[in-house]
Amino acid sequence: MARRFVRTAPSKVDRHRLVDLRVTDMTAGDALWWDARLGPKHALIATRADRLWSWSVLLPLCHVVQRAKRRYCRPLVVWARTDSGRFLRVGMSILIEGYPYLDVAHPGDSHFVWFMSAADAGVLTSEFGLSHPPALGRVLLDNAIVLSQNTGFGGRMGLHAAAAGGDALLRLYERCGLRALPPAAELPPPIRRPNDGRFFYAEEGLAESLAAALDASR
Amino acid sequence: MLWKMFFMSKFMRLDAKAPATLGAVVEAVTRLSTLSEAKILELVSAGKIAELFPYKPAGGQSIPADTVAEKDLSEASALPLSREQRDALIESSLPATAKKKSRVFSKG
Repeated sequence: MARRFVRTAPSKVDRHRLVDLRVTDMTAGDALWWDARLGPKHALIATRADRLWSWSVLLPLCHVVQRAKRRYCRPLVVWARTDSGRFLRVGMSILIEGYPYLDVAHPGDSHFVWFMSAADAGVLTSEFGLSHPPALGRVLLDNAIVLSQNTGFGGRMGLHAAAAGGDALLRLYERCGLRALPPAAELPPPIRRPNDGRFFYAEEGLAESLAAALDASR
Repeated sequence: MLWKMFFMSKFMRLDAKAPATLGAVVEAVTRLSTLSEAKILELVSAGKIAELFPYKPAGGQSIPADTVAEKDLSEASALPLSREQRDALIESSLPATAKKKSRVFSKG
């Protein structure tokens, strides 16, 4: 039976409390909202890798660039239930389907997390009435694993940690359970880039264990 | 090709705020598609993507409400999408503006 996306995540304020989540496909309106309502706040946080991202440009651009490479993007939005009971956008991601798997010893297809953002927890609380902002790192990565499994790629996924995120971003992906691709490892030929030591991936066994750990939340 | 025409006609130049020509956008996309995804991520994160892609979607759309009732959320399928669903997703990535034939090839 196909796995679903997760529907709850722990609160960042109280790990014992679960926050309701929903996942939707991303439209132009979602990108516009994020740029207008969260973008200016995130731009002030120097440590954020996404502080200069414009989702309104990225969303169509990613689609056309990947179509030029005969691949498809799957952009997703994660919503969380606010104190009022209504849902608020709290996470965004753009995944690439059928991307070359990063481990060249096991050639195949995977899902690649190209762009991914979680809204700043402090901003969600102070500006949007979300007393319990959810921890989203694992959720955003799980979306890629679930899609990869349901597509027949065995959960294989990969990503590149933006240099703008510094060491903190590397530690985040390590905490989320991903495997770092060794800096000396070759990259699949279509990637056409030196390995800078910031690539992460999950092979089938790891992906299954990461997904299984969240099954109670689906 | 039809979706491509639809797509390209909805970009505006960043500086002149004029509609982009199809040819200019295709050229920029072609140039970007020679770069790796990691390189594009770095350019975007450094605020330099406009140097290679000086366009933005045509505006005029109002900002959606901050919150939505659960019944109004259409949850995404975790299954692979059909070709029609993928095409619809691509179309929904640009604001729904009135289609004007002249915009496709107007000044860029």
